[in-house]
Amino acid sequence: MKYWQVFWTFWLVTAGISFAVITGIVTVRGYQDLRNMFSGLVRQGTKDHE
Amino acid sequence: MHFSVVDWAIVIGYLVLCVAVGLIGKKYIGNVAHYLVAGRELGMYAGIATLAATEIGTITFMYNGELGYKYGFAAFAAALISGLVMIVVGRTGLVVARFRALRLMTVPEYFQHKYSRGLRLLAGILVAVGGILNMGVFLKIEGEFLTIVSGIDGRYLVAVMTAILLLELLYTVIGGMVAVVITDFIQYVLLSIATILVSIYAVYHAGWGNMVAKVATTMGSAGFNPIQNPKFGLTFLIWQILLWFSIHTCWQTTAMRMFSTKDPETSKRVMTWTGFIYLGRGMLPMLWGIAALTLFGVGAAMSGVPAPVVNGQTLAPIDAMPAMLASILGPGIKGIVVAGMLAATMSVNSSYLLGWSAVISQDVILPLREQMGKAPLSSRSQIFVNRLANLFVGLFLMFWGLYYTPPGAVYLYLNITATIYLAGTFICVIGGLYWKRANTTGGYVAMLMGAAGAIIPFFFVHWSENITGFCAFGLAALGLILGSLLGKHTPAAVGEVSVASMKEAQ
Repeated sequence: MKYWQVFWTFWLVTAGISFAVITGIVTVRGYQDLRNMFSGLVRQGTKDHE
Repeated sequence: MHFSVVDWAIVIGYLVLCVAVGLIGKKYIGNVAHYLVAGRELGMYAGIATLAATEIGTITFMYNGELGYKYGFAAFAAALISGLVMIVVGRTGLVVARFRALRLMTVPEYFQHKYSRGLRLLAGILVAVGGILNMGVFLKIEGEFLTIVSGIDGRYLVAVMTAILLLELLYTVIGGMVAVVITDFIQYVLLSIATILVSIYAVYHAGWGNMVAKVATTMGSAGFNPIQNPKFGLTFLIWQILLWFSIHTCWQTTAMRMFSTKDPETSKRVMTWTGFIYLGRGMLPMLWGIAALTLFGVGAAMSGVPAPVVNGQTLAPIDAMPAMLASILGPGIKGIVVAGMLAATMSVNSSYLLGWSAVISQDVILPLREQMGKAPLSSRSQIFVNRLANLFVGLFLMFWGLYYTPPGAVYLYLNITATIYLAGTFICVIGGLYWKRANTTGGYVAMLMGAAGAIIPFFFVHWSENITGFCAFGLAALGLILGSLLGKHTPAAVGEVSVASMKEAQ
């Protein structure tokens, strides 16, 4: 039981930290991605090609 | 009512912002690829945000909270498997990179590339039925959460959930995937803040040592060791690995994010990094469930765990976590958390509405029209059909979702309804991409046997979820192999993507 406690504590800490860190990075850099998506869509235009 | 004026202001402000921003998406919609896959212009960070927001909803928090309450730390195994499998899929590009290279818009579309139009139609019907049944329980569970945390009178639940669904429909129908990606980004940030806040509050109030002790005294080693836990065991773990491989590669809403990325390499990166988020997606709400067990698990034993008792009232285990939030969060923080949960609800529902309606329009209605010899629809007409399908799915959910109650643990109900189509679809996709002998006859047999293998054992024979899962995937694999060996070989396999064509797609 002790082994499993340590095992789950390790994964819980890993999960919590990666969740927080990735959220921070995505919040900052995702905005630029959205702007790039808009310019890409404008570049593609409104052609009825698909 | 547990909500203060500040809480209401935060929640209403969020709703107005979200719908307003979502409606911006409309001006970027020129053709059906813009509407369904955002013109394939999605970068890595926005891709992570939309994929995570799509697959993290209030429903996710509720069923994972329930798992944590009922099975303790052993439930973490399901979260660990989902995250690690996603990282493996991302690193290897299994299915997702090839799918992206094919420039698909829906998963069943692949069936016409590799197999036949008829099989695409069958896959489309099974995907739509399984997907909509799966989504069918969302509204009710999400409504329960909101009622308990905010203290809204239960009599207004239907009206509140209908209003939320209509708001989601408004921007999804009009702005398609572009609107969904924009709103997903805002919703992802909000729901993540709420997730982190709640995790800190839960551990602070329940106490880490108390949580470990409570699980140890009520469940013994089965609360930590998933192999010893009677609900899990080795068969559950193996089934979960199989199921998560199929979900991460063939689940329509996840796959649509992969189809929307700029190129196959971006789709692999999005999948890999979201895998790390998936660890927290499962484990953190499970932790809240364990905190709720620690704080409120004092009632008579129900299936091996003490029932939650809050203010003298005995609740169902699934309601323990929201009851805990209502009790431990203060004014202002509660508003942020509920806005975060609403964000989670709306991001999942809007993506699922778009995902299943895309299958109905692209893989059921369009192939049927072709079969009837009618001329292909223009891109604008396809968008119109998609919007109608979106409305149909929304209306169906409003009635089915608010009145149907799933049997047993919600997580397992969701797993089984997903398996109805995932078993056959995953086997056909893997066979189609990686086995040259796979053919249309095998595909038909696999899809039908996979669906039968999920429906009959679970709903009629009442076998356990683990055995049902094995049965569905096993029968689908057997069906594909036998059908393909006995049936006629398909001459041109468009689905076999060469390295050269993958590079070209980049």
